[in-house]
Amino acid sequence: MHRVVRLLRRAVDALRRAPLVTAVAVATVFVAVLVTGLFAAILGGGERLVAAWAGDVPISVYLAPGADVAAARSAAERIAAGRPVDPVTGAEALARLRASLGDEAGVLDGLGDDVLPASLEVRTAGLSLSGTRELAARLRGVPGAAEVDFGATWLERLATLLARARTVGVALLVAVAVATAVLVSNTLRLAVYARRDEIEIMKLVGATDTHVGAPFVVEGAMQGLAGAALAVATLLGASAALLPRLRAALPLASRIGRADVLPGALVAALLVGGVGLGVAASLLSLRRFLRRA
Amino acid sequence: MIQLFHVTKQYGAEAPALSDVSLEVHKGEFVFLTGPSGAGKSTLLKLIFCAEPTTSGQILVFGRNVSRLRPAQVPYLRRSIGVVFQDFKLLPHRTVAENVAVPLEVRGIHPREVVRKVAGALRGVGLDLKGGKFPLSLSGGEQQRAAVARALVGDPALLLADEPTGNLDADRTAEVMALLEAASARGTTVVVATHDRGLLARHKKRVIALEGGRVISDGDSIRRATGT
Repeated sequence: MHRVVRLLRRAVDALRRAPLVTAVAVATVFVAVLVTGLFAAILGGGERLVAAWAGDVPISVYLAPGADVAAARSAAERIAAGRPVDPVTGAEALARLRASLGDEAGVLDGLGDDVLPASLEVRTAGLSLSGTRELAARLRGVPGAAEVDFGATWLERLATLLARARTVGVALLVAVAVATAVLVSNTLRLAVYARRDEIEIMKLVGATDTHVGAPFVVEGAMQGLAGAALAVATLLGASAALLPRLRAALPLASRIGRADVLPGALVAALLVGGVGLGVAASLLSLRRFLRRA
Repeated sequence: MIQLFHVTKQYGAEAPALSDVSLEVHKGEFVFLTGPSGAGKSTLLKLIFCAEPTTSGQILVFGRNVSRLRPAQVPYLRRSIGVVFQDFKLLPHRTVAENVAVPLEVRGIHPREVVRKVAGALRGVGLDLKGGKFPLSLSGGEQQRAAVARALVGDPALLLADEPTGNLDADRTAEVMALLEAASARGTTVVVATHDRGLLARHKKRVIALEGGRVISDGDSIRRATGT
């Protein structure tokens, strides 16, 4: 126990004696974690929006002319167990179209009530995009179904865009992490260099590399944690300030909460990542120096 | 205690700092290593406490061949060796007591035991009232006594001193030499590198003289040769 206390005391003492180096290292980790967190939050929020939209759009099962609507409905209810299935006649569909066209509805004058096919609308509230896609595929088996549509095209495009953004994001984050580790390690190398006399003396009196290096690693971890904590606090503050505005501007965003953009797991990952960056940077800066000392 | 067999140390393409040196220092002996600047005294001490590797030859310290020690084993050998330097090598931002405590801390000794041993070591060098001061507030002699306390606090079997009195006046030199002789009297093997002929004259000890990296005379050998 006394070794741990002594180690922490040495680390805190060293941080106090080099405030500039500490500030630079904390700031570097802060920027890296902030960029990472911001990207992850935007990606998370985007995915949540896509899921909300997917849940909002019903699956339409268009029936072939002359199909038995009642039989099709009961088959659809069996397939989409527990979900509301509403039949829409051709006349109702035409009335909706007419309503949606507003002043231009006159273009539909002269068309018969049977110009649009009857359909079944299956509600998908709470289903993810993949769940919706899977349910739509199964609904193709409804007797008399001619076509199944759930607004897949633009949702799929959005989902593909987000998936690509995630791939690019991961590559970007790895690059940011490596660059930050190198930047922080160069900063910490200054700290190691400033304490070369201390390291030399400690090694002369029989300190192992572990004993010499441990305070630097603890310092790196502390700096990483401080930078990451600041970044997380900034992200939480920003989400608290911006989410209400987003919800006011975009009705669908009303379902997005703080936990969707900054879930606990992401906050924990950012903090652990910050500590990891600090430790990695310390080890990088120590490696060459201890070899020489 | 220390055995050197045909030890050579060469830095790059320069002339060897040490050339084919063989000697033996017995347990409890007090030995002066002397010679002009560049004779190889400091290099010899560095090889003994593994600060440098040999170019060729073998060195045995406490019966262990230091040339074959793995890097991870070196710290444990050094814990049995106290070292005193001409420039003291005290940490300026730590108090005298904290400086003296360093060898004990690296061994993971309990803080209570560290406090007890440091107090004893400081008392032994007459600095018991200066433990809370910072090194730069002490005189040169006091700083060197603090360095001696640091070297002795871990009860080393071997004490190496590289020009320990090089920066001190005659009175302070006498104080530091008294401390080294006291350590020797307690059974510690002491090797002192110095170019101060006056020091050799005042202290009748075995003297190993180096020049150009070679041993040119050894007090034991001289006595044997002259029958004294």
